[in-house]
Amino acid sequence: MDITRSGHEPVFCTIVPPHLLDRLSQAENQAVAGAARRTLVQDEANRARRLTTAAGTTRPTIAGTAEEKPNRTIHDAENGTELPGTKVRSEGEEPGQDATVNRAYAGLGATFELFLKSFKRNSIDGNGLPLIATVHYDQNYGNAFWDGNQMVFGDGDGEVFLDFTIPVDVMAHELTHGVTQYTANLTYSGQSGALNESVSDVFGSLVKQYTLGQTADQADWLIGAGLLHENVQGVALRSMKEPGTAYDDDVLGKDPQPGHMDDYVDTEQDNGGVHINSGIPNRAFYLLATRLGGNAWERAGQIWYDVLTGGDLATDCTFADFAKATVDKTAELYGEGDEHEAVLKAWSQVGVPTA
Amino acid sequence: MRIHVKRTGGFGGIERNATIDTSDLPDAEDWRALAEHAVAEGRDTPPVGVPDGFCYQITVDGHTVHCSDPRLTDDQRKLISRVLKEGS
Repeated sequence: MDITRSGHEPVFCTIVPPHLLDRLSQAENQAVAGAARRTLVQDEANRARRLTTAAGTTRPTIAGTAEEKPNRTIHDAENGTELPGTKVRSEGEEPGQDATVNRAYAGLGATFELFLKSFKRNSIDGNGLPLIATVHYDQNYGNAFWDGNQMVFGDGDGEVFLDFTIPVDVMAHELTHGVTQYTANLTYSGQSGALNESVSDVFGSLVKQYTLGQTADQADWLIGAGLLHENVQGVALRSMKEPGTAYDDDVLGKDPQPGHMDDYVDTEQDNGGVHINSGIPNRAFYLLATRLGGNAWERAGQIWYDVLTGGDLATDCTFADFAKATVDKTAELYGEGDEHEAVLKAWSQVGVPTA
Repeated sequence: MRIHVKRTGGFGGIERNATIDTSDLPDAEDWRALAEHAVAEGRDTPPVGVPDGFCYQITVDGHTVHCSDPRLTDDQRKLISRVLKEGS
């Protein structure tokens, strides 16, 4: 089966009208809300209308006058390396035959929606910045990246990695690099680089949880589930819940992520281990979110979002700087009650000082 | 000529290494030209890459240069992909 070209199309979107899904997606019952939200995410044709309606009825424009709906363009590199490549789908256009293009379009939409609805952020820059992605980059390219202006997704290497548009958390991870660039702009090296990576994993996982309507205890807390070839011994690329346990394979080796400062990896590779040591703040977020319970994008996500975008972090901040900022932000948002205790405990459990 | 490529970073942060000794290969001259161009266009220190981009070290007969995605020259891209595919 050619995974990059296959895929499913939404079925229930043609039956239930979008305004009803909107209502359902905000229902008290999580199962109902989740199912509705899932359909909304898949239902690309209805998205623009729904977001316009939601924006008009719930709150005014925050930043500037940009319309609060996504402006997506998907390009096809046709297995070359010229960016952005050939434009294949613009905002509002119907899904085409290429499942990779459709997934990228939907994934960018899902990410836009979480940032808008949960954090009142209108796109990457907070002011409606167009979302640009290129798919089918290079040949046998087992990677995805943010180049400073756009997202880029490879088809996978055919041995270890499948198409990078398969997991929604991977697409959300890349888009979040854009948000970080426009906000805290964490330097992509050492601890600030690992925080940059961790923030992308946090919001990547939150987009997946929001899309599936999962509470913190229902979520898998995996990054890249579904991305590994079936021959690989592993479930994903990273586990926020248990860093170091995502894979253990003859070809890939063992997941090297630490979940505690005692095991912090000093290395010159990978910009100072940015994809390795991110396991430590990832686990702190997981511990906080599960201790608080409920939807992780609400209180835990709000704290992280406010710290990332608040303007108080140094670009070269350390884990301890970031941790302290989350403690201060929690006290500001929720007082010195359960949330405050939970955030202190989360950082303490991963060995990062907060005082 | 001994060519070593080390690839680090990327979304998965998984390191890959491959080496090829071109001495006995029928296309040794092609390899030499490709490797010389790729090294000439490389940098002595690792450039700060883009988020999730791969970082590469190319070592040719003991001399190491650095480059990173997506700003590779055509020769660097070709050399890296050939060594990772055909080397061991």
